[in-house]
Amino acid sequence: MKSAQVPESDAFPTRRYDLVKEFTIALAVTVLLSAGLAGLFSSPNVPPTTLASWSTAAPNDFTATAVAELAGTSTSAQYGPPYNHVPGAGQKIGPLGLQRAAGVRIPVDPAEDFVLRPLRQAPEQPEVTAALAQWNAASADQQQSWSSAYADALNKAPDGDPAKAAPGDYGPVPVLTARLLTLARAGSLDGQLLSPGRFYQTAYTKPMLFLADGLYLSDRATEQHLTGAQWGMMNETGNYPGQAWLWLSTFWYQIDPFKSSKNADAEIWAIMAVLSLALILVPFIPGIRSVPRWTRVHRLVWRDYYRTRR
Amino acid sequence: MTAAPTTGAFAAPVDLNHPGHYLHWGVVQISVANLVVMCLMVTLFVAALLLPFPRGRRDDE
Repeated sequence: MKSAQVPESDAFPTRRYDLVKEFTIALAVTVLLSAGLAGLFSSPNVPPTTLASWSTAAPNDFTATAVAELAGTSTSAQYGPPYNHVPGAGQKIGPLGLQRAAGVRIPVDPAEDFVLRPLRQAPEQPEVTAALAQWNAASADQQQSWSSAYADALNKAPDGDPAKAAPGDYGPVPVLTARLLTLARAGSLDGQLLSPGRFYQTAYTKPMLFLADGLYLSDRATEQHLTGAQWGMMNETGNYPGQAWLWLSTFWYQIDPFKSSKNADAEIWAIMAVLSLALILVPFIPGIRSVPRWTRVHRLVWRDYYRTRR
Repeated sequence: MTAAPTTGAFAAPVDLNHPGHYLHWGVVQISVANLVVMCLMVTLFVAALLLPFPRGRRDDE
């Protein structure tokens, strides 16, 4: 029997070992290193991107995004679960629609939540109130026609500047988006899009979705090497080190077929789940569990012991 | 957009809030800061393997 070949534990040489002392030393060294490095290097200090900063720095992008929200053509409007019901939307692993299975858990109606409700909530000038009434009285087709026509006009205008858009039948859309821009630049839209009804306003889902629908946030992320195609998951702003341990998760996004897959997030999640499970089960996987015995690294660590044994 | 510089008594001696430096090698793109940290970790690992255990007292029984 194999157990008969293993000596009793008291047959091995022993030495004193003070676990409390080692823990105390490790804690002290870690605290000193953390405090020392924080004092030396400080921390990343990039100003946050807010609706106010976006609308001030890139007002035309803000307006084009607000129009896309009204037209229902923005990324948020087309996203599907967990935000809204969109036929065919949502990532899948093979035939398994994970996103759809989870359902709509955080309902978001971009036109209503990002544009119309904030305008209704603020005390408005008569022309804005009239524009809201005109929008609400119109059919869905008419609303779509106005917003699509204005989106096209902004696309063709120099720099997407609303002031240079060609005249056309845009209904109340220019008035609504111009007022929304004013609210955003004043900073009030940031607060209005936070989830109401809570003491602590920490649910940034809606402002984040609105921001992500525009080009400004994406451009800032690209500038800081934070996008998925730039191994962004690993990176931090500035010259600070980031989350280097996420290299494998972000690696898959850089290669085909994932880099061009519409289901990349779900597929990579599945791959990482399988690999993580394999890591947990290493002691049970024949071959892989024997790697330490083949590499004999333990003989390097305990070389004194093995030298005396020879 | 660049970071607002930290000023006054709280300014760090080494300010890393500048545009990052990145290395490209095929599909691999890595920041110099991450590379430095990785090299430090590998160095520590190798040192942990190779440095002898401290020998303050021999307590072998």
